[in-house]
Amino acid sequence: MLIKINNLHVSVNETEIIKGLNLTIGEGEVHAIMGPNGSGKSTLAQTLAGHPNYDVTAGTVEFAGQNLLDLAADERARAGIFLGFQYPVEISGVSNIYMLKAALNARRKAAGKPEIDAVEFMRFVKEKAALMKLDQKFLTRGVNEGFSGGEKKRNEIFQMAVLEPKFAILDETDSGLDIDALKVVANGVNQQRDDKCSVLLITHYQRLLDYIQPDFVHVLANGQIIRSGDKDLALELEANGYDEILAAAKA
Amino acid sequence: MTKLSNNPTELNELKALWQAREQSNSAWLNQLQKHAFDIFSSSGFPTTRMEDWKYTDTRNIATNYPQWLKTQPQTIAHTPALLDIDNSIHLAFIDGHYSPEYSGTKQLPPGIIAGNLGDLADCYPGLLQEKLGKLANNNDSGFVAINTAFACDGAALLLPDNQDLEQPIYLSFFSSTPEITIQPRLLINLGVNSRATVLEHYSSNVAAITNAVTEINCGKGSELTWYKLQDEHIDAWHTAVQYAHLDQDATIKTTQIDIGAGLARNELRLTLAGRGAHAEAKGLLMADAQRHVDSRITVEHTAPETSSRERYRSILADCARGVFNGRILVQAEAQKTAAELTNKNLLLNSGAEINTKPELEIYADDVKCAHGSTTGQLDETSMFYLISRGLNIDEARNILIRAFAGELLTDISIEALRNRVQSALEELEHGHVK
Repeated sequence: MLIKINNLHVSVNETEIIKGLNLTIGEGEVHAIMGPNGSGKSTLAQTLAGHPNYDVTAGTVEFAGQNLLDLAADERARAGIFLGFQYPVEISGVSNIYMLKAALNARRKAAGKPEIDAVEFMRFVKEKAALMKLDQKFLTRGVNEGFSGGEKKRNEIFQMAVLEPKFAILDETDSGLDIDALKVVANGVNQQRDDKCSVLLITHYQRLLDYIQPDFVHVLANGQIIRSGDKDLALELEANGYDEILAAAKA
Repeated sequence: MTKLSNNPTELNELKALWQAREQSNSAWLNQLQKHAFDIFSSSGFPTTRMEDWKYTDTRNIATNYPQWLKTQPQTIAHTPALLDIDNSIHLAFIDGHYSPEYSGTKQLPPGIIAGNLGDLADCYPGLLQEKLGKLANNNDSGFVAINTAFACDGAALLLPDNQDLEQPIYLSFFSSTPEITIQPRLLINLGVNSRATVLEHYSSNVAAITNAVTEINCGKGSELTWYKLQDEHIDAWHTAVQYAHLDQDATIKTTQIDIGAGLARNELRLTLAGRGAHAEAKGLLMADAQRHVDSRITVEHTAPETSSRERYRSILADCARGVFNGRILVQAEAQKTAAELTNKNLLLNSGAEINTKPELEIYADDVKCAHGSTTGQLDETSMFYLISRGLNIDEARNILIRAFAGELLTDISIEALRNRVQSALEELEHGHVK
């Protein structure tokens, strides 16, 4: 077991969004979370990553033997959590490669390792960029600056590949991707998965799950997981929509 | 507008000092000085009742100006804080006076005149008479008038036509005697199709007053890259005005950098007077503690097909106060002018403050002009993005601060200058991390 979320309650601006969520994810497992708009999917992602605007009012989250909620966002990242943003921000004046090097060295420093050798770093980064079919010119451009929607998402998975997290939360990484980009992104995620990275996939569409086969699928509604199943659950949702499941959960 | 802000004692003291000054051998220079002093006598120093000086109170400077003008330079105890610029032609001024000891003009190519203004006024009276005091307007402020009234020490750089000067010209003004007033006067003249890079550097390690005036003429087709670094002591006060006049197809690239002084006021006035003249003006203002820094630029387009781009940024920490005023003035005859002014300000603490005013004044009908200004704190979304990648709050903050200074910093062509600005930026980051 890598992460165990128990009875999690989260509020934003004093409005409760997550209302007693339970979820356990094992090492190397891929869990997909689906659910209607406003059900709390992004709130869960931001909360796990440690965004300061999300207040955990009750519950526990255990991650690799630590109390995750005790850690600040940067400490979580260095401990191996990665958030792939739904809307990656553009940061003008900070190059992609500069940010990645700083991030990688922050991890190494926390682990008591020396800074990465510049030549080794470039070789490693170029290899990962090639995997994500990301042109090398993106490395020296400002973070996400002038990137198309698809390039931004590829850049997220590229960063994930460089940072090699233990647990990746991918918040609607598939939105805005054409089929070719989707395959590249899925390929990147699958390689990480082979390296025992656990993944929480937040998505609206079953399509992504054709390329990244989840071990489990959960339906999040009104701040709680109302149903869990295997990948067939996603197909069922695709065919019938959420109404039936929501009605069944209410009954 | 209210006249005369000096109290009579200050004025009388200044008058006595002015009369006792070492007079030039050149009658024209004495005449220029006298005319300026007459204007100063009726205008006095500016006050906050004047629109252009509303946010910057120079009373302390006015009060101490005459007294500190009497201060005689002491032998300097420390090596002056000069920049180590490779291969430069250096004119050094210590406590307001030309210092051959610290200067280095050996590499000066023949045909170029560079030296102390006072000395050159004697050697080349005709050349200087033609240019000195022609751009500076003594009515602009009492500071300009009083500088002209005493104009003697300072730098003159005269490039003939078709001279491409590779080496940067480094003009340094360093004050090390406590409570001294210095009044550098600078004259830069580029002949037709000439090219040069000039750095004006003002620094001090004591409380001192600097009141500088620069006049720059850019001849037809010439290109000047001009930097000014104001790196004065926190107890020092600094005022400076630069006038630049561009002929046809001339280009000027200016970068004003303020990183020091307790109170600083800098004003750059560009006139694009020849068809096709172009100006790129940049500014970077950094202030912490209780510093007050006022930076302003006026670009006047008086000829057709002229263009200018002004980009000014400020980073303010603690309780620092910044003032920015950017004005683009397009005269009726300056058709097909393109001008763009942006001002961005980053406030690192809630105590920091900026008053910013971009202005467009257009009298021509076929122009393309734009201006904009933004002021804010570090973007929270960007902060969280970097933090979520494992950078701690301080690292994320520093990266974003540096990114903000970004292109203004990387475009600096003189390495030693870039390094000094970089280290000032680091001091700002480290000293004020909240």
